[in-house]
Amino acid sequence: MLRFLARRLALSLVTLFLLSVMVFLGGQVLPGNVGRAILGPFADERAVEVLNRQLGLDRPLLTQYWDWISRFVQGDMGTSYIFRSPVAPFVLDALGHSLKLALVAFVLVVPLGILAGVVAALNRNRLADRIISLGGLSATVLPEFVSGIILILVFGVWLRWLPISAAWPAGAGFFTQLRYLILPALPLFLVLFGYIARMARAGMIEALESDYVRTAVLKGLPWRTVIWRHVLRNALLPTITVIATQTGYLIGGLVVVETLFRYQGIGSLIFTAARGKDFPILEAGILTIGIVYAVATLAADILYSVLNPRIRLGAGQ
Amino acid sequence: MRNDRLIDLIRRGRTAHENHLIDGLVDGRVSRREFIRHGSLLGLSLPLLGRIGAAAGLGAMPTLARAEGAPGATIRVATVLPAAAIDPVTTADSGGLAVLQQTGEFLCLDGPDLVLKPMLAESWKPDETGKVWTFKLRKGVKFHSGAEMKADDVVASIDRLADPANSSNALSVFKGILQKGGTKKVDDYTVEFHLDAANGNFPYMVSSDNYNAIIVPAGYAGDFEKNFIATGPFKLEKYTPKVGASFVRNEDYWGAKALPARTEFTFFADIQAQVLALQGGQVDVITQLPVLAGVGLLNDPNIEILSLKAVTHHQVHMRCDMDPFKDPRVRRAVALSIDRKKLVQGLMKGRAVAGNDSPFAPIYPSTDPTVPQREQNLAEARQLMEAAGLGKGAKVTLTTERFVEIPEYAVLVQNAVKEIGIELELNILDQNGYYGDGVFGKSNWLDSVMGITDYGHRGVPNVYLTAPLTSEGTWNSAHFKNADYDRLAASYIAALDLESQKQTAGKIQRLLLEETPVIWGYFYDFLTATVKGVTGVQATAMSQIYVDRASKA
Repeated sequence: MLRFLARRLALSLVTLFLLSVMVFLGGQVLPGNVGRAILGPFADERAVEVLNRQLGLDRPLLTQYWDWISRFVQGDMGTSYIFRSPVAPFVLDALGHSLKLALVAFVLVVPLGILAGVVAALNRNRLADRIISLGGLSATVLPEFVSGIILILVFGVWLRWLPISAAWPAGAGFFTQLRYLILPALPLFLVLFGYIARMARAGMIEALESDYVRTAVLKGLPWRTVIWRHVLRNALLPTITVIATQTGYLIGGLVVVETLFRYQGIGSLIFTAARGKDFPILEAGILTIGIVYAVATLAADILYSVLNPRIRLGAGQ
Repeated sequence: MRNDRLIDLIRRGRTAHENHLIDGLVDGRVSRREFIRHGSLLGLSLPLLGRIGAAAGLGAMPTLARAEGAPGATIRVATVLPAAAIDPVTTADSGGLAVLQQTGEFLCLDGPDLVLKPMLAESWKPDETGKVWTFKLRKGVKFHSGAEMKADDVVASIDRLADPANSSNALSVFKGILQKGGTKKVDDYTVEFHLDAANGNFPYMVSSDNYNAIIVPAGYAGDFEKNFIATGPFKLEKYTPKVGASFVRNEDYWGAKALPARTEFTFFADIQAQVLALQGGQVDVITQLPVLAGVGLLNDPNIEILSLKAVTHHQVHMRCDMDPFKDPRVRRAVALSIDRKKLVQGLMKGRAVAGNDSPFAPIYPSTDPTVPQREQNLAEARQLMEAAGLGKGAKVTLTTERFVEIPEYAVLVQNAVKEIGIELELNILDQNGYYGDGVFGKSNWLDSVMGITDYGHRGVPNVYLTAPLTSEGTWNSAHFKNADYDRLAASYIAALDLESQKQTAGKIQRLLLEETPVIWGYFYDFLTATVKGVTGVQATAMSQIYVDRASKA
C-alpha cells in the first residue's frame, strides 16, 4: 500500500515539473509581449522596452525559468508583472474562492447524482429511469454559459431572488456567502449531475446482474443488506474515479462560470493572466491547479484501494 | 444688439490671436460654439467669453446648470476590469483610467462639449509663437495627504510622463511636442511649457484628454495603488485589484464638495455581466455601453441612456505600398462601395454620424464643412476598378480584432466590396493577436494589407493626423507616405487661430478623399447607461466617469 502510494506521489511530481516547463514554453508562444500587454498597443516603443527591461524579460529564457522555479520550490511565487505585487495572495485567494464554489457544487451534486443513478438503476426502464437519464443527459449537453445566463435571467433579473454576481460583499458571513454561491453552483450541478448519475446507474446495473448478488439473494440475505453491503460498494468504484477527475474541473476549469458571475476564482485568474502574459501568476495558478488534480487523483486512488481489496493487497502487480 | 464700445474695451489688452478670434465672431466667420471652444483653448475664461458673446449681440451664454439631487447617496458604478496596475504613468486601458480619475485631476478638463475648462490650472496662455504656454495654477489645492499642490508637483508629474526612462504611456502624446525638462517652474503657482514645436492645441495634451496627465505629489514613488493620493473630490476608501474600488467624499476638496457620500466601482470582465448587473439592480451606472451589447437596454423603460457625441471610430486601413491598394483609384473604389447610412442606422442603431474618410469629425470646430460628404456610388466605384485594370476583380484578406462591433463591421465591408468584384477574406483575431508587438514587422495591425483598428476619442485631431498618417507615423498601418500631407499636418498643428486651422483642415480633407489611405466610415457616440432616478452622472468620451454631482432619487 505504502509502496503504491510512494510511486504515485513520485509520478505526480514528475508530472508537475513537466507541466511547469510546458506552461513556461507555451507562454512564450502567446502573441504579443508583456510590456506591450501592460502599456497597450499605442504606447511608445521606448516605453515598452524600458518596462520589459525592468521586469527582467530581456534575459535568456533558461535564466528566467530557473530563476522562477528555484524560488517557487522554496514557496516564493514571485511578483506579478501586471499588478506589481506578490503573486501568492492572488493565487491563494483565488484558490480559496474556487474551493468554496467547488464545495457547494460538490455537496449538491455528488449525493444527488449518486442517488438519482441508484434510483434509476433500481427502476430500470420504468418512468423514473427515463426521466433521470434523459433529464441528466439534456442538462449535461447544455453549456454552462447558456444555463448560467438562463438562471441569471430567471432568478436574478426577473424574480430577483438571488444575487446575480457571486462576489459577496466584504465581511459576509457563511450563510450570505452560501446565498451568493447557489446561482453559480447550479450550472456546474447541471453539467455534472447527468454524468455522475449515468456512471452510478451503469455501475449499479452491472453489480445487480453479477453472480455474487444472485448468490447473496439466494442465500436469503434481506434485500436492503444486499444493496448496502454488496451492490453499492462494488457499483460505486467507477463513479468515485469519475468524481475525482471532475474535482480538477470543478476547481480549475470554471473560467466560463467565473467570468459570467464575476467570481474571482482561479480559472478567471489564469485566464486574465494568460491574456496579459503575466507569467508569474499564470505559472503559479496552473501549477496550483496541477497540485489540486494530483491530490484529487491520489485521494481517489486511496479510496478506490480501500473499497477494492485487489488493489489494497497489491494483487495484479 | 451689438455693443461696439464694450467690444473695444474688452479688446484692449488682448493678444493678437485673441483679437483675431473676437473679430471672427463679430464678422460672423466664426460661430458662437466655435468661438467658445477655441477661446477656452486660448485660455479665455468662460465668463469673459460669455460677455464678449453678449457684447457681439449673440445673447447670453446658455447655462449648463441643472438642478442637483440630494447629497449623501452611494453611487455604484460598473467599469471594465483594469488591465494592469493603476498608475498614472503606465495605465493605458479604459478600466484603469476611469479608476485613476476618481481621485486624480488634470490641469484642465475636456468636457463633453469639447470646451476646455479650468481644473487645477486657473488659466493658460500661449506666447506669440505658440511654442511657450504659460499656466497659472489654482491656489489652495490640497493633496489627500494634506500637502498643498504647487508648481513643483506639476513639473514633476509632467516631466515623469515625458521621460523615456519611465515606460510612460503618455510618451506617444508628448512625442515631438514636449520633452523631459521642457516643463519649467516660474514661481509656486506658475508653470511654463517650452515645446519642441509650435502647437495650437497644446492645452489638450495636459487636460483630461491625456488621461495619464494626473497631477500627483512631486515625490511620487510609483505606488499609486496604495492610497490613490491626488487632489480630487473623492478619496480612496479601499481598492482590491481585479474586484473593485470604493471612494469617500473628500471634505477638504478645493471645489464644490462631492454630492455622494460614497462611490463603489465594480470591475467586470465582459459587458454582458454589466448589463445583467444593471438590470438586476446591483449597479447604478455602466460607464461605457457598446451599442450592440446594449441593444436590450436602449428601449428599457427603467434605464436612462446618456449619449455623448464623440470622435471614437474604427479606421479601415489599406496598404498604399501593396497590391491591390497601390493604386489610389482602388482605395477610392472601396470607400465608394460602402453605404455609410447603413453603417450609422443599421450597425450603430443611429448612435453615430457618417465619416468622410478623414479624422475631421463634424464635431471638431476646425472641420471644413464645405468639403462634400462621400456617399455610396457603385457605378463610379466599378469604373475606378476598371480604370485601375482590376475589372476582373481582386482577392484581399482583411485582418482585424474581436472588439465591440468590429467583426460585424468587417462583414458589412466584405459584402460592400463584393459589389465591385473584390473577394474579401476575413481574418478576425483576439486583440493581443491583432496588435502583436505593436511595431512594424511584428504586428498584424501594422503589417496587414487591409485591417480595421479601434481608435478612442480625442478632443483635438492632432494625434489622428500624425501617428496613423504621416510618413514617419508610428501607427501608420496604411504605410501612407505623402510629403504634401506631412506639410499640411504640421502646419495645422502649429496654427494658433481657428481660421487658419479650418483652411488647412479643408486642404487635408480634400487630399485624404483623393488618396483614401484609410476609410473613416463613422464616428460613434459614447453611451453611458444609468438606472432611472440616478442623475448628475457625466461621462467623457475618453471613458472617464464623473459622479461627484450624482444623486439618487
